[in-house]
Amino acid sequence: MHITFVKKIKADGSPCRKCAEVEQRLRESGQLERIDTVAIADERDPESAGMLLAAKHGIDVAPFFIVRNDDGAERIYTIYFQFAKEVLNRRLSEQDEAKELLSRDPSLDLL
Amino acid sequence: MAITRADVARLASEYAARHPREILRLALENVDNIAISFSGADDIVLIDMASRIRKGVQVFSLDTGRLHPETYKFLELVRDRYDIRFEAMFPDHAAVEKLVREKGLYSFFVDGHHECCGIRKVMPLRRKLATLDAWITGQRRDQSPGTRLAIEVIEEDKSFGTAEKPLLKFNPLAHWTSAQVWEYIRDYEVPYNELHARGYVSIGCEPCTRAVLPNQHERAGRWWWEEETKKECGLHAGNRGKP
Repeated sequence: MHITFVKKIKADGSPCRKCAEVEQRLRESGQLERIDTVAIADERDPESAGMLLAAKHGIDVAPFFIVRNDDGAERIYTIYFQFAKEVLNRRLSEQDEAKELLSRDPSLDLL
Repeated sequence: MAITRADVARLASEYAARHPREILRLALENVDNIAISFSGADDIVLIDMASRIRKGVQVFSLDTGRLHPETYKFLELVRDRYDIRFEAMFPDHAAVEKLVREKGLYSFFVDGHHECCGIRKVMPLRRKLATLDAWITGQRRDQSPGTRLAIEVIEEDKSFGTAEKPLLKFNPLAHWTSAQVWEYIRDYEVPYNELHARGYVSIGCEPCTRAVLPNQHERAGRWWWEEETKKECGLHAGNRGKP
């Protein structure tokens, strides 16, 4: 299995807050070492590795994860708690999952 | 359940331009374990239409504890007026107490609304949806050009459903405009939340909702202080490389 973590640098050059938050969670849980490749999606550079991966997979949010199995099959995770649960076998708190759902499902914005 | 995941794309296309009443009829006649999510705003039209199709429709509202007094009065009026099975979903008290103890009653003005909404809305919503096969919402594309343009009249809910327990989501008003909703309210003399008469278009919790000016988009009436941070997770298409 090969895991790629794509994180964003915003158009103004600052790091994406959500990406930093996810990275911190991975670090605190000791699972940052499970990430094989970190790709930067730099909004100032359409040719940056992360931007190219986002375009290739049709993803328009960051961060996201690309998980490639040994048979070559790839799965994309844009919701961190699903990635954590299915790939890292780690559950977030219900509260964290709810917060994540809100930030990733734009149709919930006017509940 | 007579409608399955496999039917969703076909039905979404077939019903894309149909009257909301027909979409509601499809939902209510084909899914037994289904409920309307009612926000206490102009989605009242769903309850009115559904009540003309079937008595005893299941309706739930998310009582965050921070709604306007006018909204509570309206929820009660609706509960009395229509032959529905109404249920109020409340947040987990321990989670609310912890949030308030650590961050106070207005943390959303500092940290953004996701944490508070997560506890007061999404967790109870998730708890309710876990008991259903399908839900019906009043979501419309014209409510938020930024976030709701893609909604279909019938969808598989991938946020709350799972592979083992799929969840269908019906949005009968997806293709209607606010003007059409209000035309229905007037034509059928449907009761409405009195906040609408005071310039409120979208109605949520009291601290996070405000009236908007004429011609101002309803999105401007919710979480107006954090528009920029909401966009933070997007990879902006204009900057993105081509495959």
